[in-house]
Amino acid sequence: MKKCDYFKDLILTDYIDGELDKNVAGSLERHLLDCSDCRAFFKEVKNNAAMPFQQVLRQPVPAGLWDTIKQNIEHENQASGPIADLIDKLKGLIVFPRLVPVFASLILMLLAGAVTFNTIQIQQARDKAQGEYLVSTLGSTGSLALADNSGLGTPIEHYFL
Amino acid sequence: MEDIARDILIRASQGDMQAFEDVYKASSSFVYNVAFRIINNREDALEVAQEVFMIIYHKLKGFRFESSFKTWAYRITANCAMNYAKKSSRTKTVPYEDSYGEGAVVNEARTRMDQEHQSQLIEDLLAELNCDQRACVVLRNIQGLSYQEIAQALNININTVRSRLKRSREKLLSLREVSPSFLKRGLGGVHEKV
Repeated sequence: MKKCDYFKDLILTDYIDGELDKNVAGSLERHLLDCSDCRAFFKEVKNNAAMPFQQVLRQPVPAGLWDTIKQNIEHENQASGPIADLIDKLKGLIVFPRLVPVFASLILMLLAGAVTFNTIQIQQARDKAQGEYLVSTLGSTGSLALADNSGLGTPIEHYFL
Repeated sequence: MEDIARDILIRASQGDMQAFEDVYKASSSFVYNVAFRIINNREDALEVAQEVFMIIYHKLKGFRFESSFKTWAYRITANCAMNYAKKSSRTKTVPYEDSYGEGAVVNEARTRMDQEHQSQLIEDLLAELNCDQRACVVLRNIQGLSYQEIAQALNININTVRSRLKRSREKLLSLREVSPSFLKRGLGGVHEKV
């Protein structure tokens, strides 16, 4: 029964439309020889759901359609005038890049630039603070050293000298 | 429809009206017929066909020959017709029992071989399908497009084409169960000609 359901699905679509792989179509046709229920189903689908549409005659295109289209185009061309034509021609000559990727790249570049600038600013501020600290530290030790140097005349030095 | 020569399309895209008329002559029949079968109304199909050719005229400048003109034109036509049908909801649905009740059997039998009558039956059958299903049936069974071509024209997956066709046919078969006399008289008549 499951086999029949599988083949009935194929009959409704690929088989009736000639889209089925040859090997699968072969096994389906062998099944149709044995199964009267599937054979009846195939006949029903063919006669009532597929073939009637293939018999449909093409409707003739109503006269006057081309004239209406032509008039519409001419009317548009007159309304647009020579300036619009010139703009159209210029548009054809100049190739505009797609704007979305351009804007996206621009925004990314601006973000990257802002982050880099900020990092440099922070680094500079840190360096400055460190420099000031060192200067102040060196300033105090420097004065001590000077005091020491000026201490050539300490009692011990005097003793050795 | 035969695919139109590249030089004609290029000239038409440059505004050559003679070339555009050639494009129209080569494609107007399928544009009108596809629109008519999807919308199921002659006047509306005419309006859509006009719209389709205006779109083709304007967009031909941007046509890059990446797909065939035929596929491109089918896509525009199917889109316009489906949008129109969905917006307007003017697609008529003929109730089977009212139109083809038992009282009409004799008259139906007399005229069933009439082409206009057959065409009407097809219109009534198509009206029973939803717009998406109708587009697939029209492109497959009336226009003879392959599943791949339908998928490209409607910009859908090939399995979606398959499932829409399956549901359409199940629906058509169920109509036979609901109103056997309708299909027996209507489509049986068509079938006898095969």
